[in-house]
Amino acid sequence: MEYAIELKGISKSFGPVAANKNINLSLAKGEILALLGENGSGKTTLMNMLSGIYMPDSGSIFIDGKKVEINSPEDSGKLGIGMVHQHFKLVERFTALENIRIGIRGEGRFMHGPEVRKKIEDTAAKFGFDIDLDKKVANMAVSEKQTLEILKVLCYGAKIIILDEPTAVLTVQEIDKLFAVLRKMKEDGHSIIIITHKLNEVMAISDRVAVLRHGEYIGTVVTKETNEKALTELMVGRKITLNIDRPIIEKTHPLLEIRDLTVKSDEGATAIDHINFYIRGGEILGVAGIAGSGQKELCEAIAGLRPIVEGQMIHEGESIVGMSPKMILEHGISMSFIPEDRLGMGLAPSMSITDNMILKNYNESKGIFVDRKTAREEAQKVVDKLEIVTPSVDIPVRRLSGGNVQKVLLGREIKSGPNVLITAYPVRGLDINSSYTIYNILNDEKKKGVGILFVGEDLDVMLSLCDKIMVICHGKLQGVVNSDHTTKEEIGLMMTGTLNIVNKEGKTDGIARDSAITDEEGKA
Amino acid sequence: MLDVFTLFLFNIIVYNIPLLYGTTGEIMIEKSGSLNLGVEGTMAIGAVAGYLVGAKTDSLFVAVLVSFIASGLVGLLFSFLTVTLQANQNVTGLTITTFGVAFYYFIGNALSNSKGGWPKLSGTALDAQSQALHIPGLSDIPVVGKALFSHGILVYFGIIIAILMWLYFKKTVPGLKLRAIGENPAAADSLGVNVALYKYTHIIIGSGIMGIGGLYMGLNMGGTFEGSNCWINGYGWISIALVIFANWSPAKALLGTLVFGFFNTLRVQNAALAYVFPNTLGWLTKIPSHFFSALPFIITLLVLIISSMTSKDKSGEPQAIGRNYYREDR
Amino acid sequence: MRRYHLVRRADSQLKRTLIYYAIGILVSLTIGAVLLISLGINPFQYYGRMFTIGLVGNKYGYKSIEGLLKVFVPLLITSLALSLSFKMRFWNIGGEGEFLIGAICASIVAFNSSGMPNFVTVVLMCLAAMISSGIIGVAIAALKVRFNTNETLMTLMLNYIMLYVIRYIGDTKADWNFFLREDSERPIFGSFPESAVMGGIPLGKFKLLWAVLIAILLTAVIYIYLKYTKQGYEISVVGDSSATAKYAGMNVGKIVLRTMFISSALIGLAAALAVSSAGTISDTITNDVGWTGIIVAWLSKLSVPAVFVTAILISVLQYGCQAAATQYPAIDVNFADLLQGIILFSVLVADFAANFRIVRKEDAKHA
Repeated sequence: MEYAIELKGISKSFGPVAANKNINLSLAKGEILALLGENGSGKTTLMNMLSGIYMPDSGSIFIDGKKVEINSPEDSGKLGIGMVHQHFKLVERFTALENIRIGIRGEGRFMHGPEVRKKIEDTAAKFGFDIDLDKKVANMAVSEKQTLEILKVLCYGAKIIILDEPTAVLTVQEIDKLFAVLRKMKEDGHSIIIITHKLNEVMAISDRVAVLRHGEYIGTVVTKETNEKALTELMVGRKITLNIDRPIIEKTHPLLEIRDLTVKSDEGATAIDHINFYIRGGEILGVAGIAGSGQKELCEAIAGLRPIVEGQMIHEGESIVGMSPKMILEHGISMSFIPEDRLGMGLAPSMSITDNMILKNYNESKGIFVDRKTAREEAQKVVDKLEIVTPSVDIPVRRLSGGNVQKVLLGREIKSGPNVLITAYPVRGLDINSSYTIYNILNDEKKKGVGILFVGEDLDVMLSLCDKIMVICHGKLQGVVNSDHTTKEEIGLMMTGTLNIVNKEGKTDGIARDSAITDEEGKA
Repeated sequence: MLDVFTLFLFNIIVYNIPLLYGTTGEIMIEKSGSLNLGVEGTMAIGAVAGYLVGAKTDSLFVAVLVSFIASGLVGLLFSFLTVTLQANQNVTGLTITTFGVAFYYFIGNALSNSKGGWPKLSGTALDAQSQALHIPGLSDIPVVGKALFSHGILVYFGIIIAILMWLYFKKTVPGLKLRAIGENPAAADSLGVNVALYKYTHIIIGSGIMGIGGLYMGLNMGGTFEGSNCWINGYGWISIALVIFANWSPAKALLGTLVFGFFNTLRVQNAALAYVFPNTLGWLTKIPSHFFSALPFIITLLVLIISSMTSKDKSGEPQAIGRNYYREDR
Repeated sequence: MRRYHLVRRADSQLKRTLIYYAIGILVSLTIGAVLLISLGINPFQYYGRMFTIGLVGNKYGYKSIEGLLKVFVPLLITSLALSLSFKMRFWNIGGEGEFLIGAICASIVAFNSSGMPNFVTVVLMCLAAMISSGIIGVAIAALKVRFNTNETLMTLMLNYIMLYVIRYIGDTKADWNFFLREDSERPIFGSFPESAVMGGIPLGKFKLLWAVLIAILLTAVIYIYLKYTKQGYEISVVGDSSATAKYAGMNVGKIVLRTMFISSALIGLAAALAVSSAGTISDTITNDVGWTGIIVAWLSKLSVPAVFVTAILISVLQYGCQAAATQYPAIDVNFADLLQGIILFSVLVADFAANFRIVRKEDAKHA
């Protein structure tokens, strides 16, 4: 077989965390290869090394059989590689034509010779794109923007095209259209890598499937010779027994009940779609789902940072809908969300650990002054208890390592003594030891009777740590499972939208038997 | 009667062309995503350097070239500090103004107190070369000939720069790339555009253009150095305002220069107009000249507020203006 | 392709920063010295005269100190006020305009105060100035909060609009215009009645104006305000990350409005103290503190003690140039501005050198 791309022994680490370990992957000419893996399995990192954003620590890349070095997006483009990023890189104020024109090489210094336009139009027609070249990006729908991104790389003469989760933002009809385009591209001799989590799509579009797990290459299978169940197994792996404690505590009444919650994303799409669930005191409820399934919006809605479209959020019998973040905080609901950039929300990076400790309760002390004496003592306590490595509590958090930053954030949330703790990706980017410290912290809170919502990424961890796991897919509830009575495969199938057990056995998941909300209230 | 009117039109152009240089220069810089508040200082340095070397060599061409280079060097300083060293653009720009104007006075005082004294303009070839050109045919048309076609070469040069820049942004690929950087540097970067190189080049060229405007002001003032009054006299600041009024378009800058110039000329000539047209324009003398001076700033303030209240769609303000770009190497 | 790249130093040591700054200032003074030599002036003599602000061998030395303090007080307060808004990442470059509004409103009180007690008049002047400047500041902040109007450009326009307002007042002879001297044919700003002129503590011939004490007290208050109060804490959080401030339940809009009121009102206060100390108003009353204050605040990295020290140094530079100009007619006060500019450029470079390192790509990979 002739290969468009061969990767041999590629490794890449960010600090102590290995994102890719000794990866071998090949893309045959004229095939569509699906790249499958859970969040954090290293797919995007691997592809970014092909698009010139990162450079591998070791290993080699072969394009059309020749060994190459890719140092910049420019190098990548010259080798005929085009990547459609998950987050579009478009100039909003420009028209489609102008956006494409920025990257076209040759063709002189003047803008739209009719032949440039003709060329683009020809390319669009060839692959069946329906696009208005004079429309401004700002006025485009998401699917149009994506079409533009794909057309862009085609116009630059890319022979190898990488699409990072292209279907995440599309409707079913739009996905069909996209697939038709991909097939045309394939017929035309293009080689395509598509990253997606949705197994039905993998089955529908790909020739072969390569699977990554925890940064390692698991293997490649021919799509025709496999099925969704087998792929799920490859993706999530056999259950690994982790040494995480799961103390069994007597669970109390539902502390937080969510009914029929609908929330919109920043872009105006429905991010959370009529979700029901509840958290009891003394339990950890995991939230599993592919990245971008509405986790962020869910957390923000509960914390009062994002207005909800409809639904109810009842905390100990009282509605928290419409309350300010501050009031919700005073109610005892505490949220720590670790965003991708870690320092974006929740911490003031240039300020000291002490100052970050009091971010939410600086106003509680009497008088006009901030009570730093108590704050410093509390900060020291948190530092000691969570074993935060720092020369002193007066160091700006920006200078701490990732794990310690997360401990500061979590330490503050716990310190206020919440009875509901919402935590998202608390071990993101951490090494094993730091992760275990975090798990222990959460378990200690659970023992105190706190109800914890744990938005996680690693299914093994969630199965070991959480009492129950609710699975969401594209903002819809797929069901709530008991960690002791489920398998990774089952959760995997639910995450990818293949399995939905919400109304299994006539009982609706997500509504407590001893709910504080009556049926009438629930409907209101 | 007609003379007053003609003179009025003539003056709008003669006295306000420096605004066009300042504005087009600043537009070029702002289109690259940088806000340079150093226009006043950049113009002052270009003016003094261009004038002195021009007087020495007695050549307008050399004067223009030197003012372009001197101000271009100031642009290089601004680029180095803000693009490479990531320094704050506001502070750097304001300091360039403080520095540039002080430099102007420093050189001026030093020369005036020296043996040779400050070089004079009158009677030199430099003066002759910057005087009004007589364009056969066009200059002789009544009214229009005097108002539009009896200017020095730098007037036409300024207009040509504005038109060329307009075409550059609108019709060329480098212009497109430049605008892309001002809007979304990360997107331009991902398409292989060398962001730093583009910023440097355009900041330097934009600053150079401002310098020629400064030189024009010096020549227009008869080349005399006054210890208390800088040639640039606030035109750099008005240029910054004009950029907003012109909605970041060199073509509209041409129009804006005429509008701001109209008020500016009204300030100087209101008495003459009122004298000639006592019945219709007599009220002009009642309006204090300060009002006309402040008008560009008042109009710009209103434009700023109103345009921020309404949809941003039509605004030409580069989205990434004022923010430094730093592709984080991970 | 790029062999080298920049890495932010993980630790920023105060000592290293100070050393780099000192080098930067030294380089600037050397450049200044070269300029002086080119004029045939001995730089040591000139700098000597400048840094002693004409005190040496001057029997009216106390006048020099008084003069220096008149430059220092408005500059100090304005720089502190600007630091307050810059800390919040609000680009208030309207110091000149806000100062002028304050000066005009304080003068309205002053010119109409004959017969009133001195203390009451000065307090009223301060209040008038603070409220008028503060309101303008709030209006600009409100537009920023509500419509995200560009505050840098708005405040810039304000400076020039106010400049022409005061010039109009100063140039217009009219019945209503109590700002001007009645006994003069030409328009000249009048002097304040005794009641509006700032008093002080006489120390021999030298008079220590109350304004100086107020300024020093204010420095302490602002230091405490920023470092120890809840409001100061809020400013830091909003400036560091407004997303975090919202997450913590802070009302970011309110904090921006409040801080801009305080910032502008303080500039108004500086203006009231300046006109009262001068006993009159003029269109050059700001002495460019709105601009210089930005440089002072930035050189000091918005730290209050550093602003205090930097304001003294810049005042010495400015006033020293004035003092030296009597002996060196070839150099006027603009030399101070020139040096100030060079110092800021050098310090920007020094700051960068103190915070970044240049690393070879290969080394970075294995680091």
